[in-house]
Amino acid sequence: MTITDFSGFPPHADLAALKPVESPGYWKQVRQRISKDRVTLVSAGILLMIVLSAVFAPLIAPYDPFQGNIMTRLKPIGFEGHLLGTDETGRDMLSRLLYGGRLSLIAGIVPVAFALLIGGTLGVIAGFAGGIVNTLIMRVTDVFYAFPSILLAIAICGMLGTGLFNTLLSLTLVFIPPIIRISESVTTQVRGLDFVEAARASGAKPLSLIRHQILANVLGPILVYATSLVSLSIILSAGLSFLGLGVSPPAAEWGLMLNSLRQAIYVEPVVAALPGALIFATSMCFNLISDGLRAAMDVRIKV
Amino acid sequence: MLNFCIRRLLHAIPILFGVSILVFGLVQLIPGNPIDLLLPPEASPELIAQMTKAYGFDQPLHVQYLSWLWRTLQGDLGYSIFNGAPVGEQLFSALGYTFVLAIPAALLGFGLGITLGVVAAFHQGRAIDKIFSALAITGVSLPHYWIAIVLVMIFSVTLNWLPAQGMGFIGFPTSLEHLRSLVLPVITLSLIPMGVVARVVRAATLEVLSQEFVATLHAKGLINREVVFHVLKNAAPASLAVMGLQFGYLLGGSILVETVFNWPGSGNLLNLAIFRRDIPVMQATIVVLAFFFVLLNLLVDIAQAAIDPRIRR
Amino acid sequence: MKLPYLTTMAAAALAGLLSAQPAFSESVLRIAMTSADVPTTTGMPNNGFEGMRFLGFPIFEPLVAWDLSSADTPAVLRPGLATSWEADPADPTRWTFNLREGVKFHDGSDFNADAVIWNLERFFDKDSSQFDQSGGAITQARNPLVKSWEKVGDYTIVIVTKYPASYFPYVIAYTLLASPAQFEAAGGDWNAFSKMPSGTGPFQITNVEPRISATLSKFDGYWDPERMAKVDTIKLFPMPEATTRLAALRSGQVDWIEVPPPDAIPGLKSAGFDVVTNTYPHIWPYLFDMMEGSPFADVRVRQAANYAVDREGLVVLLNGTAAPAKGLYPADHPYFGNPENDYKYDPEKAKALLAEAGYGPDNPVDAKIMISTSGSGQMLPIPMNEYVQQSMAKVGINLSFEVVEWGTLLVAFRNAPGSAPTMDANALNVSLVTSDYSYLYRYYHSKNASPVSYNWGHWKNAEFDGILDAVEANFDPAAVDAVMPRAHELIVDEAPWLFIVHDLNPRAMSSKVKGFVSAQSWFQDLTNVSLED
Repeated sequence: MTITDFSGFPPHADLAALKPVESPGYWKQVRQRISKDRVTLVSAGILLMIVLSAVFAPLIAPYDPFQGNIMTRLKPIGFEGHLLGTDETGRDMLSRLLYGGRLSLIAGIVPVAFALLIGGTLGVIAGFAGGIVNTLIMRVTDVFYAFPSILLAIAICGMLGTGLFNTLLSLTLVFIPPIIRISESVTTQVRGLDFVEAARASGAKPLSLIRHQILANVLGPILVYATSLVSLSIILSAGLSFLGLGVSPPAAEWGLMLNSLRQAIYVEPVVAALPGALIFATSMCFNLISDGLRAAMDVRIKV
Repeated sequence: MLNFCIRRLLHAIPILFGVSILVFGLVQLIPGNPIDLLLPPEASPELIAQMTKAYGFDQPLHVQYLSWLWRTLQGDLGYSIFNGAPVGEQLFSALGYTFVLAIPAALLGFGLGITLGVVAAFHQGRAIDKIFSALAITGVSLPHYWIAIVLVMIFSVTLNWLPAQGMGFIGFPTSLEHLRSLVLPVITLSLIPMGVVARVVRAATLEVLSQEFVATLHAKGLINREVVFHVLKNAAPASLAVMGLQFGYLLGGSILVETVFNWPGSGNLLNLAIFRRDIPVMQATIVVLAFFFVLLNLLVDIAQAAIDPRIRR
Repeated sequence: MKLPYLTTMAAAALAGLLSAQPAFSESVLRIAMTSADVPTTTGMPNNGFEGMRFLGFPIFEPLVAWDLSSADTPAVLRPGLATSWEADPADPTRWTFNLREGVKFHDGSDFNADAVIWNLERFFDKDSSQFDQSGGAITQARNPLVKSWEKVGDYTIVIVTKYPASYFPYVIAYTLLASPAQFEAAGGDWNAFSKMPSGTGPFQITNVEPRISATLSKFDGYWDPERMAKVDTIKLFPMPEATTRLAALRSGQVDWIEVPPPDAIPGLKSAGFDVVTNTYPHIWPYLFDMMEGSPFADVRVRQAANYAVDREGLVVLLNGTAAPAKGLYPADHPYFGNPENDYKYDPEKAKALLAEAGYGPDNPVDAKIMISTSGSGQMLPIPMNEYVQQSMAKVGINLSFEVVEWGTLLVAFRNAPGSAPTMDANALNVSLVTSDYSYLYRYYHSKNASPVSYNWGHWKNAEFDGILDAVEANFDPAAVDAVMPRAHELIVDEAPWLFIVHDLNPRAMSSKVKGFVSAQSWFQDLTNVSLED
């Protein structure tokens, strides 16, 4: 899996097109564009449903996700009060999928959030400070970049052990380098723009420069990138559980369920496919939203 | 140009050192006594003493690191604690088997991706753009290991057209029969590269197309072969970077697909090593894969610079 | 017209290329094993008894062999490379073995007393130049009795045991004999030997591709004309994933799979495949760590665990390919005895026992169990363990799992609790053999505590040790039979293990496979099997 899907963020973009934040119209324009983009709105809507149902799982779930009746194992969709059937030990699929959403979404969002925080900070610092600081940060980043993402995640989980914490830790470490790269790259380019130079020349303090001029311009592209990373994070964490390196039984998590239902594919293919379908749907939503945000923020594309 | 190449090469060396330190450091983080981790439990006291001397367990960490590094650079990748066989032998044959999957998957994925991306960009906003973009985004959003299971169920078990698992040949495929074993794993592996490359190529192509003179020509319907070539040439650097990274992923990240298809590649070897707690094999596999990845990035950078002289900073 | 003819020929050629028939009409039996890798081919395979079943006995034979010809009675011993054996009545630690004459190894060298001595040195004498570290570890754990040996004649040897043990023939049955001449030809290195192995069995290993396959070919020079192989070649494939095995069988890639996924069995039968099951001396337990500091040191906790598992549910999960276990032996076994505890699913009793031991809802038992991903006799470890975990959680025993590869679990099994290979596990989930009373000694006698042999958890019960000591040197089977039930009662009541299920040895084969006899054993005779076209 790669995290360098820099599409929409060409390295040599003509950033003169980026307006300084003084103009309040930019974000308004972005909002307007999004409101007209049906695909993004629908994806956001579906995602909201998924997130809400995961958050309110204890209230919505009809059964305890950890209790099952072995005599009604692997039952098809709609069987006797089990809306989505039962799994291989008789637990209700709907309940497990709802609770599974919690772990899977956490594994999707938390690493990206932390990576944004840590990586974004480091990247902006590197881009802003330049010189030795920049070199140091970027070279260390390059070292982590030498690992294909899933390999690094597997290496960390394989060596440190399984479990949710190690999964989150390894995925955070996997995502920090590309975020550093992106934020450093944008910061460097924005820093060199005329209006920023002007502000500097007129004596503005570095921190306020960062806050007013740089962050606002940097935030957009990074946000776009981060939403696409969430999609990848969900797939990677599910993949780790699939290999047995993520969360352990009896936790309900989509990747783990995908693994334990593998045999069932010959007996109840539809039920067995459900966790995979959910991973796909959630991931797809994040990607579509990411695309929508990017299209809305790109001032050159005519709507 | 030569200057650039040399600079990039020199640049890669500290990175490789950094990688080796990272891998060595990861191993140190594993809970437990390093001797227990690196030697079989039935090792005799003589063997333990011998290994302690060779690995330098009684020495300070940096000495241990240097002696490990020295041995690795000389090609001594150690011995598997599980079956005592030399790691190098196992690893390089496994890498070979992964290459056999990675190269066709890369060709398929990149070929499809470039086609989809370029066509979509040239027809931006129209139906075909939307369809191709949807295909690309699907490729990136699918859990490919799940698709693998579904494909096996359909094409092997139900329709009986293709083998369900395994490599079906040793070393190199030499017959049509052998190629059948490649079909499902290659398709599965190519999904993500296809999606990623399509999206990048589309974006990069759009970027070039939005340049004034090209846009004008496009609006007037005057796109000819030269213009297309110009567009592709300018879109190439960003696309190449991504393709290089994707190939690196194919080499190192196919562990999920190799598990489903029982393919004896480097991903499968790493998986086994993890479940066997076979530290020498894990260490060597990760370092070698990272090494290839760095090399790959180097080649991509050089290729980019060759195409677009502006990149040679 | 020429064109259609050419097209037809081209189509036929393509069809020929696309079909999977070998060039000659050689019969190739393709078997998928549950191991994750090809078991070692040095003559002492790893991967437990599945390794012995496929890369052990068919190629390398022991002095005393198993009779695998009957499906209706438990397998018993028969002469192998020794035609007869007996303990010296005056000194029962001295066993004389009369060796079979006229046997040749696959490489053509002769089998004789020197070869046997050489092999004993390989496994038991760490100063010999052919000492095999890993093979030795496996053999010594299975056979903790060998003390010394003597050559008496070209075809007679004496093996001296550390103490008198009437069950020694059962134990020596696992010591396989490889060719010394071939070892020398391989440069005196076991790694090199594994690429060109040589034994005396009805099959020889002709090709090994690590992690991919091992090929066995019929050995025309085999010494027993009654047991010549009926197939020319057997190809063995490691396939640790049950669904992968299933897909391989159903799509015709292999002819025989070990342990099909139980849910798929009805589908296999209706698609025309044969699914063979039979009882065999197998138990699927948790081996408790009973040393101080372990949650299982308290017998009440161990008994509670035994009452906490819903075995019937597990049998449903396995679609009937297992039977509930209440002790080491099944209830109808002559040695079962009359234990006080009848381990049925009784969560209330479990909770009461735990309360007595000081545990409760706010003080649950926390235990780590080491389990494998697949392996010989391990059945479907992940779903089964998950189910046991569910059962136990209901009474207040919280299990967490350390998941490792089968080989790694076996290594932990040979080492004492608390040592590094055991990774802080409080119990191991290792499927084990119950074929003869020799195992009672190795699993439960205190002198066989790990790492000496298989009493992993260091169980020590004076009465039990006493019973076993009393008949250890008694060569009268009736005397042995008389006391074993009492020993078994102690095993059940003191619960050094969590007794879960007995496997029913399911295998699935295509209907082309003929002649297979499912012996009541962990091992099977591959010479019975033929392939019909």
